Amino acid sequence: MSLRADELVIDIPGRASGTPLSLAFNGGEVWGILGPNGVGKSTLLQTLIGLRPPRAGQVLLDDRPLPRVPRRTRAQRLGLVFQEHQDGFPATVLETTLAGRHPWASPWRMESADDLARARAALERLDVMPLADRQVHTLSGGERRRVGIATVLTQSPQVWLLDEPTNHLDLHHQVAVMGLIRSLAEEGRSVLMCLHDLNLAARWCDRILLLFPGGDACWGPARDMLVPAVLEGLYGQPLRSTELDGYPVFMPA
Amino acid sequence: MSRAVVWLRPVFAAIAIALSGAMPAVAADRCATDALDRNVCLPAPARRVVSLSPGATELLYSAGAGDAVVAASAWSDYPPPARDLPRVGDANRLDLEAIVAARPDLIVAWTDGNSRSQLERLSDLGLTVFWLTPRTFDDIARAVVDLGQLTGHDALARDRANRFLAGLAALRDRYRNARPVRVFYQIWDEPLMTVNRDELISKSLALCGAVNVFADADRLVPRVSRESVLLARPEAILTAAPETDAERALAAWRAFPDLPAVAHDNLLVLPPDRLQRPTLRMLDGARDLCLRLEAARGRL
Amino acid sequence: MAVSDLLRPLLLLAALSLLALLASVSLGSADLSLGQTLQVLVGGGSDLDRTLILDLRLPRSLSAFATGGLLAVAGALMQVLLRNPLADPYVLGLSGGAAVGALLAMLAGAAGVLVSGSAFAGALLSTFLVFGLARATGAWTPARLLLTGVVIAAGWGAVMTLILATAPGRRLPGMLYWLMGDLSQSGRPWPALSVLVVACALLLPLGRTLNVLARGTAQAAVLGVAVRPLEWLVYLTASALTAVAVTTAGTVGFVGLIVPHMLRLALGSDQRLILPACALAGGTLLVVADMLARTVVAPEQLPVGVITALIGVPAFLFLLARSR
Repeated sequence: MSLRADELVIDIPGRASGTPLSLAFNGGEVWGILGPNGVGKSTLLQTLIGLRPPRAGQVLLDDRPLPRVPRRTRAQRLGLVFQEHQDGFPATVLETTLAGRHPWASPWRMESADDLARARAALERLDVMPLADRQVHTLSGGERRRVGIATVLTQSPQVWLLDEPTNHLDLHHQVAVMGLIRSLAEEGRSVLMCLHDLNLAARWCDRILLLFPGGDACWGPARDMLVPAVLEGLYGQPLRSTELDGYPVFMPA
Repeated sequence: MSRAVVWLRPVFAAIAIALSGAMPAVAADRCATDALDRNVCLPAPARRVVSLSPGATELLYSAGAGDAVVAASAWSDYPPPARDLPRVGDANRLDLEAIVAARPDLIVAWTDGNSRSQLERLSDLGLTVFWLTPRTFDDIARAVVDLGQLTGHDALARDRANRFLAGLAALRDRYRNARPVRVFYQIWDEPLMTVNRDELISKSLALCGAVNVFADADRLVPRVSRESVLLARPEAILTAAPETDAERALAAWRAFPDLPAVAHDNLLVLPPDRLQRPTLRMLDGARDLCLRLEAARGRL
Repeated sequence: MAVSDLLRPLLLLAALSLLALLASVSLGSADLSLGQTLQVLVGGGSDLDRTLILDLRLPRSLSAFATGGLLAVAGALMQVLLRNPLADPYVLGLSGGAAVGALLAMLAGAAGVLVSGSAFAGALLSTFLVFGLARATGAWTPARLLLTGVVIAAGWGAVMTLILATAPGRRLPGMLYWLMGDLSQSGRPWPALSVLVVACALLLPLGRTLNVLARGTAQAAVLGVAVRPLEWLVYLTASALTAVAVTTAGTVGFVGLIVPHMLRLALGSDQRLILPACALAGGTLLVVADMLARTVVAPEQLPVGVITALIGVPAFLFLLARSR
């Protein structure tokens, strides 16, 4: 079970074209996607999950082009944690999280005890169980983010796409979420996340994809990608780095 | 045996046809054609009539059927006994249950006031509805005759209708050669509305030798501007309003002292019921109207 | 949420509906005792009683129930579609189209089936007009649909005003009464009732999907919901329900906005519960309102829309205060 990009070029309005991406996101890997604002990180994630059409190339799920995969199957295999949560109608935290079971449920049956158990377990894992009966629009940014992650955890997809998962989270919860991601990878799932924090990327990601402002991209193992020379070109910001416990640590110069 | 039956059949058929031809005369169905061109027939004179407009109530009493009216719509106030009749709602807002509970054998409806859809419900339940649309004096007379026919007062109704028409003819004769008076008839002041020649009020004016300045308008009740009235230079302005409202009704015209009607003090207010309801009282109303116009003519 | 959680409030609402229907059939401007009513319902009673109850009150009460149910369900669907608790079935201009159709028919002197048919045609025309315009303008969002619908509604409003301003005086009372909502002209209730039942049956399996749609279109899309086709289905269903309701009883306001809202305050947002509950509660509300409209000042008949507002507003405010 794999997600692959084949000569994929994402569609950014106003931008000519970019490096075609041909890479596979295999199970057990944690990918970090880095780049400055506006370069298309969110767009890439949305293209990979099928919310947006690519400008060129295609996304393959189990060697089938994504549009040919039935929606239900797609939702069972791919999950996305959004950067911004748009809440429509009022609902409780538990109801929002339970929605994650939708791809697995039959229209004729109510939620099973198993569904409820998974949702509760997810809320526990993300430390938001006490909020289960609160209205979701009354939550703080960080609490809403954790509920979003819990929803995908309930959905239990093979491939996780996360758009800046650590936004709004305090340090403790940032580490907890990263720990969750690590354990997902150990289970054999593949994870792609957009990050701004270089140090988190350095600490937790196996492979890195860098998206440059003009549309260029390069990817590879973390230790190869996360070097000041490359990163300074990416962010236009001089950096200094050192090592701590075997992981590189970066600071603006 | 079979041969005899074959021979007898046409004989029986002929007898049956002869008898059926004789049937109507024996049963004496009372029939009349209503305003929707439907032939309405009753097996016997109507004894329980429900009237659905004040005009219909008056016409029923005029036809001599006052005793047969068991219920009426709101505002049925003439003749005075009609005020005590049980009510069944108003124009478009009829209480269908009250009508059915009154067990009528005839319902008299007004096309200008009642809802066809509501009355279709009653027809579906098997009740007989007779529609009226009096637009001319002849229509009023015919309505009285038809109602008389349906309620068993043929002779009386016919007599009253004839006298009505004769009275109107007499008025026409009397004022045939009178000096025509140019009249603006004000139906309503805000917005300003009048009538064209097809309205009964306008026909009454014509009887009295008056000329409706908006007779040729396209619509039955046109909305006009004050300027168009001023341009028409009417010699008299009339309206129908209750006593209490008389002063106010035409007060606005006094702002135009050069208007012939105002200059000659010909702002006339008449009682509404005898002019606006299409009933036999229109004769009284017309007579009164002619007298007032004659006085106005004198002031010109 | 277990099945029993669903059934309990629905059974309660069903019981209330039956009670309301019984009351509506027993009360009217003609005084009939409860005994006489029950006699008729089991097959006996005098001819007059049978006519009053079976031919006048029962069809009218059933039409009221169907109309109220249709409007409430349509309102709930519109609120999900537009993700806006202020949406009601008429917000996209459908009632305007129906009204123009009906008024034009009345202007031409038609009555009964012709007026209803014309209203239905006007409603369909308005539905497809908004559908076509919203699709043609490219990227579709609830805001765009709402804007298109509001503009079309304003257009219909202007046409309506023109018709009312130029209609001959004698046609006006009938027109105004239709616009205020009037159940006295509804004949057979079976078409409206069947549409309500069929709609509820079709919407039930969609309930969970609608819950997910209500979370937001992007979220629903990644969870496997075919968002665009579902939204059009919801729009067309809500429009069809509203068209049937308006054809039966004219434009009865308030029910489609308030009933789904009240039920959400009391029962939560699960559409699998809310949609059937709307059918029952909306029907009950309109049956009670119509019963009051025809008996409170009998033989004077009040417009049913006034009663729905008079009942609904205090009830809603009470629920709102309690939910704080």
